[in-house]
Amino acid sequence: MAAGALARRDQRFGLLLTAPGLAALLLVVLFPLGFAVFTSLFDYTLVHPNHDTFVGFDKYVEAWNADYLPDALWTTVKFVVASVVIEFVIGFSVALALNRVTRFKNVYYIILLAPLLMNPVVVAQLWRMILHSELGIMNYVLGMIGIGKINFLGDPVAAFWTVVLVDIWHQVSFMAILLLAGLAALPREPYEAARMDGASAVQTFVHITLPLMRPVIAVALLLRLIFAIKTFDIVFIMTKGGPGTATDLISYFIYRSAFFGLDVGRASAMSVALLLIVLALTIYLYRYMKSLA
Amino acid sequence: MAQITLKNLGKMFPPDVVAVADVNLTIGDGEFFVLLGPSGCGKSTTLRMIAGLEEATSGDILVDGRRVNDDDPADRDLAIVFQNYALYPHMTVAENLAFGLKLRKVAPTEITSRTAATSRMLGIEPLLKRKPRELSGGQQQRVALGRALVRQPKAFLFDEPLSNLDAKLRATMRTELIKLHQSLGATIVHVTHDQVEAMTMGQRICIMKDGHVVQVGPPMEVYRNPADTFVAGFLASPPMNLLDARVVDHAGGLAVALGEARLAVPGAFNGAYGAWRDRDVVFGIRPEDMHDGAGPGGRTPLDVRVVAVEALGPEVVLVAALADGREIHARLGPGFVAPIGSQQRLHLDLGAMHLFDRETRKAIAQRGTG
Ligand SMILES: Nc1ncnc2c1ncn2[C@@H]1O[C@H](COP(=O)(O)OP(=O)(O)O)[C@@H](O)[C@H]1O
Ligand SMILES: [Mg+2]
Repeated sequence: MAAGALARRDQRFGLLLTAPGLAALLLVVLFPLGFAVFTSLFDYTLVHPNHDTFVGFDKYVEAWNADYLPDALWTTVKFVVASVVIEFVIGFSVALALNRVTRFKNVYYIILLAPLLMNPVVVAQLWRMILHSELGIMNYVLGMIGIGKINFLGDPVAAFWTVVLVDIWHQVSFMAILLLAGLAALPREPYEAARMDGASAVQTFVHITLPLMRPVIAVALLLRLIFAIKTFDIVFIMTKGGPGTATDLISYFIYRSAFFGLDVGRASAMSVALLLIVLALTIYLYRYMKSLA
Repeated sequence: MAQITLKNLGKMFPPDVVAVADVNLTIGDGEFFVLLGPSGCGKSTTLRMIAGLEEATSGDILVDGRRVNDDDPADRDLAIVFQNYALYPHMTVAENLAFGLKLRKVAPTEITSRTAATSRMLGIEPLLKRKPRELSGGQQQRVALGRALVRQPKAFLFDEPLSNLDAKLRATMRTELIKLHQSLGATIVHVTHDQVEAMTMGQRICIMKDGHVVQVGPPMEVYRNPADTFVAGFLASPPMNLLDARVVDHAGGLAVALGEARLAVPGAFNGAYGAWRDRDVVFGIRPEDMHDGAGPGGRTPLDVRVVAVEALGPEVVLVAALADGREIHARLGPGFVAPIGSQQRLHLDLGAMHLFDRETRKAIAQRGTG
């Protein structure tokens, strides 16, 4: 019983110490969240920014039927699948290669980490300048080797893939580092056993590495999936969702509803829906990671 | 089945760790051969070079007379059982057994029959559907053994397979491995740091130290005639008593001077030991060659002080101190009792004594030219 009392006292003391941090968190995270949920239930527009007209779930229905929502969803799905899959393939290849490296490991790590440490806004600005169709260095270089100018951000197909590639450039290291950590933690012994059993490099990869890496791969894919769904910065800086709706990801679509459509209520409703989707994925990820432990 | 020959085998790990130096061995076809030595002496490295998991930096490895240095591990057709078993964690026991056969394109029906036969022999049939993490250490050990057996390789390489088992299971597995060897007639190279394992299992044992082979021979021969103080001090527990001493003239013959005490050397050794008169030696005597009774005669008395009496049941280990404080161990009958600190007279059977060169630590021949 004394131990219980002691634990309780410890707990109270801990709570006391974390109280300021928790309070700040509540203020900056929970309040906006609550405000969004609250707002989604009202006809709150930037023309009439008030909570006078309660409309229940009308805004959700309105959001679901919004023009171009299917386009935005489809674009988002394409974007997420393309970037996560390509990041996985590149990231895994890089991780496999780096896992064998013994010299200059730190140098490679620093190079890998550099994009991750950059602010997404900076990344997007940087690439916008590099890829500018007239003044960008990319088209200049391509011109020198005899390839014609590519309208990276002006052509709908090119723009979509440009956004995907910039996202890959920015995020692939995350995948590589996560997978590299997984590879480094794999037991060494099964590989020696496989050598004795006569497994070739490919057979070892298929029968040993892939199955052993499955949990790490699943976590890496899910984490990137969750982040990719919320991508906003690159589109905001580089394309503004265009040309047309070629790069109109869901988060940018929501942004437009609020600040161009002026319908904050509807934007809030969509945000809440998106939040629920991401939350579901996160809970799944959390459960999965717990099941591994 | 195969004969394995190591010629001037060496392994250096960069920058300058010499793990194995100039090892020469021939392991006979069907022999149970034990590599014995303390941790870090290069046993595993030697075994891994035979297996092909580690590249030899010098020397040759021959299997049935053919040089295999440049062969892939798979092509050498040897099986290794690792100390930590190294099972495939994501495969069931059945899959673990079958994996090597599948890779070698063995027909599915034969895989089934060989897996079944092996698991029956090792008593792991009820475990076939389990994953390694659902097995106890002893069961994992059996599966690891099964994975080697099922392949029917030319020879088996065991790297301390019993060292992670508890004492009782280890004793059981020792017996089982001996039986297994008898029924298969296979060549087995067994690495261990446990001298009991080596003594009980090996047809021949090879004692290694610092990457070198110190002595090779049948266990009892090595036990009776240790080549140097290292081997003498490594085998058996408690090991041979080793005491710095001098050879002196004594009553018309020779004696070993242990401090003030004089132990008369049996006349038969006088010729061989004569050359060591007035020289520094190490005197060695096994604990079982010291007794608490004078016996039928011919024993040499030595007075000691009792430091501790360890009753083990079938025997008593007496820890005693010489007049100058140096400690010795004696194995006495179960009835021995003595108060700690009391004086006791031990009776030494000097026919079983050993002398070693104090400088080179090598054994001094007891007979022959002197
Ligand atoms: N991969 C390695 N790199 C460097 N040194 C090693 C390596 N493997 C073993 N050694 C060294 O070689 C010596 C022999 O090791 P090992 O063969 O494992 O000894 P044992 O199996 O007898 O305990 C030790 O000093 C060990 O530190
Ligand atoms: Mg070892």
